[in-house]
Amino acid sequence: MSEPPKHKSPYALEVRGLTRSFGPRKILSDVNFKLKHGEILIIMGGSGCGKSTLLRHIIGSLKPDAGEIYIDGTEITKLNDREMSKVRKRFGMLFQTGALFNSLTVGENVALPILESSDVSSNIADLVVKLKLELVGLTGFEHLKPAQISGGMKKRVGMARALALDPDLLFCDEPTAGLDPVMTAVIDTLTVDLTKKLGLSAVVVTHDMTSAFRIATQMIFLFEGKVIAAGTPDEIKNNPDPILQQFINGYADGPIPLKLSKDDYLKRLMQA
Amino acid sequence: MLLAFAQLSAQAFAGIFAPLSGQRSWKLSALFAQMVAIGVASLPTVALANFLLGLVLAIQGAGQFDKLGAIDMVADLVAFSILREIGPLITAVIVIGRSGSSITAELGTMKVAEEIEALNVMGIDPVKYLVVPRLLAMIIMMPVLTVLGEAVGLFSGWLVGTMSLHLDPIYYVQRSIDAVEQKDLFNGLLKALIFGAVVGAVSCFYGMQVEGGAEGVGRSTTKSVVTCLTSMLAMDALVTALVYFV
Repeated sequence: MSEPPKHKSPYALEVRGLTRSFGPRKILSDVNFKLKHGEILIIMGGSGCGKSTLLRHIIGSLKPDAGEIYIDGTEITKLNDREMSKVRKRFGMLFQTGALFNSLTVGENVALPILESSDVSSNIADLVVKLKLELVGLTGFEHLKPAQISGGMKKRVGMARALALDPDLLFCDEPTAGLDPVMTAVIDTLTVDLTKKLGLSAVVVTHDMTSAFRIATQMIFLFEGKVIAAGTPDEIKNNPDPILQQFINGYADGPIPLKLSKDDYLKRLMQA
Repeated sequence: MLLAFAQLSAQAFAGIFAPLSGQRSWKLSALFAQMVAIGVASLPTVALANFLLGLVLAIQGAGQFDKLGAIDMVADLVAFSILREIGPLITAVIVIGRSGSSITAELGTMKVAEEIEALNVMGIDPVKYLVVPRLLAMIIMMPVLTVLGEAVGLFSGWLVGTMSLHLDPIYYVQRSIDAVEQKDLFNGLLKALIFGAVVGAVSCFYGMQVEGGAEGVGRSTTKSVVTCLTSMLAMDALVTALVYFV
């Protein structure tokens, strides 16, 4: 029995020559990478290196100055809003803060993309909501408001909502920021499990190295808007690049320029 | 800025009529929720403001007309100023302060909390989902509140006329009816309709424009209220001039 081809392209996501400046500042310059179906790509980098900007380009919130982004073979940078919203139905996104709607209950939050994108009856939507909440281990929390649950639970509800329309591609923006180590492990296990069970691909933006090495199958390291290292977790660990090594090992001293280093500070003091 | 405002307004007004051409758009339940939040919840304050202004008009008028020996003119004054001007105006002022500001603050907070972006990513158009129900509720509820407010204002004028100025209750009502034409009522309601559209569009626009956290929400809300008030007064002058001079 041969399965019908589920995917148009061998790559779930492909970014070619992506460049974007805000005024004189070049935030992204010539970013290239590919992600095969079923893999988890980690985008790492320090604060302000362009990780979030890159993610916003991939989800179509921002348009690049140059370069192309292919989602399963479809080039998205030239699409208009309506075509883009069709592409967006095939991906889910977990926001840094969860971005749950505070006026809606947990169940309504998860049901929202289902009810707004199709004419399914509310009974079926309820059933899907139960299934999705079960996936993230939050059965029975449908009726609570986001303000009544913890940060880790909000992230899991965000995950359930991201999965509501059975996406092919899952984006996570710092999924473990602000969580305790146990909850971080829970979210990580969830991401790995879900990609395996549901056969989806994931792009995770993070600077949490423990979590990154735990879940990645591919990694890229962004520094000052450029991809300076890419590969499997083992390749990244053994990459001799001093910037990369400083970042993954978390050393305070190294080639990554600090905004206020000691001698500069002294010089500035003396000049003042 | 103006271009962005025109764009959002055009999208939102087009969104109102989208269901006529069979497109998926806003939901009736969302509209009703907004009509309650914007309209029904504003009713007590609108009624109070109109009541007090009716009293003030009657009392101020009585002082002047008494000098002319024409105290029963109070009925005329209250009737036409409430219907033509004071009713729509004070109702709009209350709705701007209460509901316009809350629309801007609510949408702004959603923008800051990435909720609007989340809608976009889910393929849900935030204009259809958030802006259209608020704008439409504003357009519907502003005339409704105005009519109810005007009734309260007329009543409080009548209270002053009969209780304090000792005018005959029936005579007061008769004079009021004779003093105004249907045109006055419709003129007031036309104003209310336009105020509703302006306030709805401006307050949603400023909400969707918010950048930069809690401070941004505060700044946008202030701008929204000021812009709503000035543009409402400008439309008031324009409609008055058009109706009475053309």
